[in-house]
Amino acid sequence: MSGISIRAGAVVRTLAFIVVALALCGIVFELAGYSALLMLESVVEGAFLRTGGWAQSLRWALPLFITATGVAISFRCGFFNIGAQGQFYVGAICAAFVADVLGGAPAALVLPMTFLAGMAGGALWALWPGYLRLRSGTDEVITTLMGNFIAALALVYVTSGPLKDPSGTGQQAASPLLPAVYRISDSQGISPAIIGIAAAVALAMWVLVNRTPFGMLASLAGRNPTMVRFQGARLWTLGLSSFLISGGLAGLAGTIELLGPTGRIASGFLPGHGFTAVLIALVANLSVLATAVVSMFFGGLASAALYLPILAGLPAAAIDIFNASVALFITAKSGLLDRLLRAARLPT
Amino acid sequence: MTDADPPALHCRGIRVTYGEVTALADLEIAFARGAIHAVVGQNGAGKTTFARVAAGLVRPDAGSLAIDGHALRLGRVAGARAAGVELVHQSFALPPSFTVAEALEFGAGAGIGVYSRRRLLQRCRERLAALDLDVDPRRRIRDLPVEVQQGVEIARALVTDARLLILDEPTAVLPPAGIEALFERIRRLKRHGVTVILILHKLREVMAVADTISVLRGGRLVAGPVPCDQADERRIAELIVGQSAAGSVSADDARALVGAAPVRGAAARDTSASAALDSHESVLELADVSTAKDPEEPPLDRVSLLVRPGEIVGVAGVQGNGQRTLVQAIAGLAGITGGDIHLGGTRVSRLSPVSRRALGLRVIPFERNSEGLSLTSALWENWSVRELLQKPLFSFVDPSALRLRCDEALRTWGVRYASATQNAGALSGGNAQKVILAREIDEDARLIVAAQPARGLDIGATAFVWSALREAAGRGCGVLLISSDLDELFDISHRLVVMLSGRVVAEFVPPYDIGAVGRAMTGASM
Repeated sequence: MSGISIRAGAVVRTLAFIVVALALCGIVFELAGYSALLMLESVVEGAFLRTGGWAQSLRWALPLFITATGVAISFRCGFFNIGAQGQFYVGAICAAFVADVLGGAPAALVLPMTFLAGMAGGALWALWPGYLRLRSGTDEVITTLMGNFIAALALVYVTSGPLKDPSGTGQQAASPLLPAVYRISDSQGISPAIIGIAAAVALAMWVLVNRTPFGMLASLAGRNPTMVRFQGARLWTLGLSSFLISGGLAGLAGTIELLGPTGRIASGFLPGHGFTAVLIALVANLSVLATAVVSMFFGGLASAALYLPILAGLPAAAIDIFNASVALFITAKSGLLDRLLRAARLPT
Repeated sequence: MTDADPPALHCRGIRVTYGEVTALADLEIAFARGAIHAVVGQNGAGKTTFARVAAGLVRPDAGSLAIDGHALRLGRVAGARAAGVELVHQSFALPPSFTVAEALEFGAGAGIGVYSRRRLLQRCRERLAALDLDVDPRRRIRDLPVEVQQGVEIARALVTDARLLILDEPTAVLPPAGIEALFERIRRLKRHGVTVILILHKLREVMAVADTISVLRGGRLVAGPVPCDQADERRIAELIVGQSAAGSVSADDARALVGAAPVRGAAARDTSASAALDSHESVLELADVSTAKDPEEPPLDRVSLLVRPGEIVGVAGVQGNGQRTLVQAIAGLAGITGGDIHLGGTRVSRLSPVSRRALGLRVIPFERNSEGLSLTSALWENWSVRELLQKPLFSFVDPSALRLRCDEALRTWGVRYASATQNAGALSGGNAQKVILAREIDEDARLIVAAQPARGLDIGATAFVWSALREAAGRGCGVLLISSDLDELFDISHRLVVMLSGRVVAEFVPPYDIGAVGRAMTGASM
């Protein structure tokens, strides 16, 4: 009974955030001379009401969801892995290399190998900050954040060097478009395959978090590592696993972008993906189910962002302002932040 | 001291509430000038809150305070200090990295001043000499033994010429010899005209030093201040415990709980256990165990220890003499560099903590709220953690079954709680400790390592913890009880060892001699 009422309270609070964030955005827009109401209308229309709106929102929401559940796992375990963006890029780069090397082989071979490479790449990019954190207490916020920049630069190098598209226009460095046989969706974005992958991830992560000793111990360790260590848990195993899962899922999202809607990797593509995923995980209070719902919301925003200039004459950056104000309220939400700060100070 | 003299401290109708908890309920009390007053009561009776109100650290919701007849502005440390009230805290508040001289000057708060080191040292030496404290003012606080730290703390409080000094449980951290030195220091203060209010736990200590005694219970004054020479110890003990709790506690336990005359020992009356003690079996055996150096706590130095089934072995010692390392070494959290540990005949020196627990090791850790429970996690998660660790990490568990079994266990242990999904942080100290007992004392337990299991608990909860440990021993469990409270140890241990600087230096069997145990604790020659 009380469990349900606590959860209901959390939902109400989260909704309250979003409403306040919207109101704050509205004020900014009114001050800048735009109509806040028009913006709201066009966001809703762009995300869900126009024809194909739902499909477009899903196209953005599903990769975000996959990355965000990964972020949530590391947060649950008490590690503030904010390197999803870098892990997403490194995953996509590794996947692109494998797809390139295996080019010409049957899709039944290329696709699994590409997925594997993408997940391994993302996991690798989370492994070293995780190792440093557990080995010597290096702050994972700093390392994962720096990892994002390194990965973004690596992407520039790869797309303008080894994997450069010879027929490219030169405006944006990018790899060649993958042949249709290796694609899991067309450029419009959404396909049964991607929905299937997201559903599988959702199920697996829900079970992992709610029905395994790993999930329960990781969240206990996130709240009080000392107690879990006293009971004999190996924080190394819990911590590294959560970093690896977290990075692996970001890498999976990168691979989906490569094989799905984007069809290639390009320097600086989807620059806000990992950060939005962090935001989603926090708004969803690290719950898998809530992450799905919140992802849909932010996916809708991302989709509407592209639509705003056409419909309302508003810059697409309007959505960034909204994201930023949500982030502001999330950081003000003391409970979670306190917890992460406390976890960061405790020895592992 | 005539009736016309205004009291040194007069509280009228002081009320303090923390959330739903009433810490002080309309407290009325007056202390005469120039005497040593003891305030006693069990944990949660409001003693510390009273001290903090008097020192201006806590602003009461209602009531007034007068010092020597002058009303005091409430909730202001500076105001209380100006009126000559100083508080020496239960846990020391001096910065550990300061030198003694710096610490004393820190308390003076004389604003901006230019010091010459020589003058500072000179002034400092005078102050320390006045308290008969033999310590070099250039030494750092953290390097001093605990009783000297406390002496410096008192000196710090007197820097501002305090006329009313409140000491909050000053004896809790001291070995028996240190307590006598502290009392001598307090009598000296009294001769200098300082009024002293001592918040104490043990009647024995009250009778040794105080002029008057007052008893708090449930945030109210239930007796006093009455002169100590007119006080009936048994009556006072009843007042502390309260009528409702008194009935369920044995006479020896009751004496141990209020720290009246020390209990001589448990084994004599506990014949059921003594039969088992003849056996050569052991549930825990440490043979010459040493551990690596640690900056926080002395390492174990060739510790040998034996706990037999059904036996409660007490570990006495001043805090910080390797007791923590001992618990960690047994639990498998501190690597050992020499010797061997056996649990029930199995060599476990190289086994992981989880494998040791699988052999029946259970630990009630020192720090209830950090090592024992995750306060921001649900009760059922806290309760399940031991079991979860015995399963493969990536296997299937059913949380609703765990919740049900948790409910069952918590009810068996009489935990007062609303739901297994509520956070552990919502429970009181006694209830939280019962959750730990419910987790650590199960039918598969073979050895229970209980580190300060009753610390901070009220009398009812303390008696509960003791009876739980006795019952476990009665079923054949071995119990290793680590405590710095000799009354507790004397009352329930069948055998007692003393730790000093990481070594086991002495072993005692009942009837215990508090003097000999105290000497062993401080390393004084016997």
